[in-house]
Amino acid sequence: MTTTVKPQVGEQVPLLDRAASIGYRYGLLAVLAVMVVVFSLARPAFGTFGNALIVLQSVAIVAVVALGVTVSMAAGGFDLSAGANVGFVVMVTASAMVRFNLTGPTAIAAGLLAGLLVAGVNVLLIVVAKVPDLVATLGTMFLFQGLALIITSGQSVSAGMTTDGVTAPGKYTSGFVWLGAGTVASVPVPVIVMALLAAAAYVFLGHTRWGRALYAIGGNPRASRLAGIRVGRYRALAYAVSGLCAAVGGILLSARLGRGDVGAGDPYLLQSVAAALIGFAVLGANKPNALGTVVGAVFVGVMISGLTMLNAPYYTQTFVQGALLVGSLVMSYTLTPGRRR
Amino acid sequence: MTQTAGPVVSVSRVSKRYGATRALRDVTLELRPGEVLGLIGTNGAGKSTLINVLSGVTRPTSGEIRLRGRTVELSGPLEAQDAGVQTVHQNIDDGVVFGTTVAENLTLDSLARRGAGWFTTRARTREAAREIAEAARLSVPLDAPVEALPASARQQIVIARALSRNPRLLILDEPTSTLSATESAVLLTAVRRMAASGVAVLFVSHRLSEIQDLCDRVAVLRDGTIQRVFTTPVDGPSLVTAMLGDEIEATRHEARPVGEPILLGEGMRTRPGAEPFDLRVSPGEVLGVTGLIGSGKTELLEQIYGARPLVSGALTLGDRPYRPRDPHAAIGAGVAFVAEERAAQATLPGWSVRAHVTLPRLRAHSRTGLLSRRAETGSARRVIERFGVRGPGPEAGIEALSGGNQQKVVVGRWMEGAFRLMLLDEPFRGVDVGARADISRVLREISTTTGVVVASSDPQEVLQVADRVLVLYEGTVTGELRAGEVTAERLAALMAGEGR
Repeated sequence: MTTTVKPQVGEQVPLLDRAASIGYRYGLLAVLAVMVVVFSLARPAFGTFGNALIVLQSVAIVAVVALGVTVSMAAGGFDLSAGANVGFVVMVTASAMVRFNLTGPTAIAAGLLAGLLVAGVNVLLIVVAKVPDLVATLGTMFLFQGLALIITSGQSVSAGMTTDGVTAPGKYTSGFVWLGAGTVASVPVPVIVMALLAAAAYVFLGHTRWGRALYAIGGNPRASRLAGIRVGRYRALAYAVSGLCAAVGGILLSARLGRGDVGAGDPYLLQSVAAALIGFAVLGANKPNALGTVVGAVFVGVMISGLTMLNAPYYTQTFVQGALLVGSLVMSYTLTPGRRR
Repeated sequence: MTQTAGPVVSVSRVSKRYGATRALRDVTLELRPGEVLGLIGTNGAGKSTLINVLSGVTRPTSGEIRLRGRTVELSGPLEAQDAGVQTVHQNIDDGVVFGTTVAENLTLDSLARRGAGWFTTRARTREAAREIAEAARLSVPLDAPVEALPASARQQIVIARALSRNPRLLILDEPTSTLSATESAVLLTAVRRMAASGVAVLFVSHRLSEIQDLCDRVAVLRDGTIQRVFTTPVDGPSLVTAMLGDEIEATRHEARPVGEPILLGEGMRTRPGAEPFDLRVSPGEVLGVTGLIGSGKTELLEQIYGARPLVSGALTLGDRPYRPRDPHAAIGAGVAFVAEERAAQATLPGWSVRAHVTLPRLRAHSRTGLLSRRAETGSARRVIERFGVRGPGPEAGIEALSGGNQQKVVVGRWMEGAFRLMLLDEPFRGVDVGARADISRVLREISTTTGVVVASSDPQEVLQVADRVLVLYEGTVTGELRAGEVTAERLAALMAGEGR
């Protein structure tokens, strides 16, 4: 067969292509910057440090969950159970403290274990039973949405609630609530957690051999196996990371709510998937990446907060997020330079 | 089976050019009603192009095609079908619709037909399907879901559907390549029956035995031209010689001391049911494995690499028993493998040369898990230098390299490690002469201390590097030759399963 010679680096690239490539690389960041400037001019209260922290706090939990989704996507998977995982962990932590009167640290441990349990079911289905990722995690999503209802008999969990005529003995500990509402040097704790996890995910995906192996599996599982990568184990690892991130998100959400609300985790699936997918278009990565995911989450946060300040009603938020997602999908799938098919 | 009727198809002086490549040159061929014509040739000989021309997928650059005496210009597959040419492609699953029943698959055509009405009823579908199945003597339950059937049954469905269009010419493109021996036998019987009913069949295959069994005549394609047309009884070795050419030369490499064996295989089989054989790989001599496509070369190498389970026997690597669970274990034991299909099995779209080089040995390029860019770039540069990889450097995407240079990267990446045994499956496919020479040179160099096994369906490629050649025929080892003593006749006889 004949081989085609692709243009080599240093060859003359038409100006238009180069402009498109620059636009693609920095487009999303530019739009983000423009948005911040415009909102700040329109509403001076927007451009303050305090508001920046508020925006970051509003997106912190989504970003944390999205980082996990990013890791599963890197390995060519897709974790649809992330939102249900968040909801399940909220219920587990709330029940641990309120109904079983356990300490804050125990509740955190229980929450993390719950997240790993969800991941375990995913791994069992995907790696052992060979069910395709999308439908397997869809099944897990239903399973744990249901389980969250069962363990709380379908009610919300809050201090002083009664189950079967017995008043719950415990309440949210102050240490646990601090995770949601506390600050360190005026920075909210969830924002700090987000920053730490983002840095960890960035290093893990971009600079460790495990991250490289995950991307390899996402790119060509057959070639990865023949290069000696144990594909099953790495896919298990990816879902475990995803489950743990969702659990951390669930713990932060539980702490912020101060109670276990039924269905609290539901919005987090779509929002975190959107953040991860928007992240594809950041700096021309064109693949799931930690930095992009955080930028994606912040992008959504800035947009919604700005529009809210401009008196856009809250019920437009979902549509705005959808439009953002669609726009960035077109950006990474259609407008990517060198991706013409 | 000569009949007095005129030819169904006659192809005269057909040529097809793709840019500078001449895929077909002045091909002239005739098929008569009821005749089975075998078509055989190596990869790139022009078989696919000829099939595409006949089935209306591509237009010839020059020449004439006549169907039942009338000159035709086929401008698309549908037109060819209307003219009575049906093609069953190699990939069976492209021909069936999963998630539906056998009956629905048999009657697929009626869905697209105009005036078929808006509604289909189960009864009407079944009735139509029953007729088609009966005509083709299909013995598959009509209500069975297609995906529950074995490959052979799915193929029968595709063929039955093709027959339901009353073709004059039926083209079967490697129909037995995914079938077992018994399934193939069933298919061959069916083909004979079709021919007996007056259909002309063009039967493309790599399996000599079935070609010899089935076909009235066999046309051999090489480099786009019909080398020879054989009539039955077809002599296997002559067929192989016509396919491969007779300019195969014994290549005498410099004699080197042969060391203690690195790999010993006892009682190995390429596939269940094939005859067992022993294998020995030692430093100081490159072992070549050759045989026609589908003769079991890939199966042999993949067993040694742990990419498929060992069929039978036992392996010894160094002085220890060796039975890799997966490629990871094989690499751990010091075995490297270069797969046959580069794009599907080795390269990652969008990845740099550097990342391709280090992928099999990420641990060696990292400290406490953190990858060292310096170590990675160093490895990539060494591979580029040693193999003379021409391209924009280690950070360039693999797609920026030519096929030959990509191959240098996926071969060369193993050289950085401490490997004892290197297995290469068709390492020269789609590789230009220069790259082939570069790769051969390095393989000869490393073979002084490591075991090297090179498999190719082109014996000339194997002889370029190998000191000793194992010949496979339909899964079984038919002989072993020293590269210096190879003659074209001997090789052809072994590749055709004769002269054992």
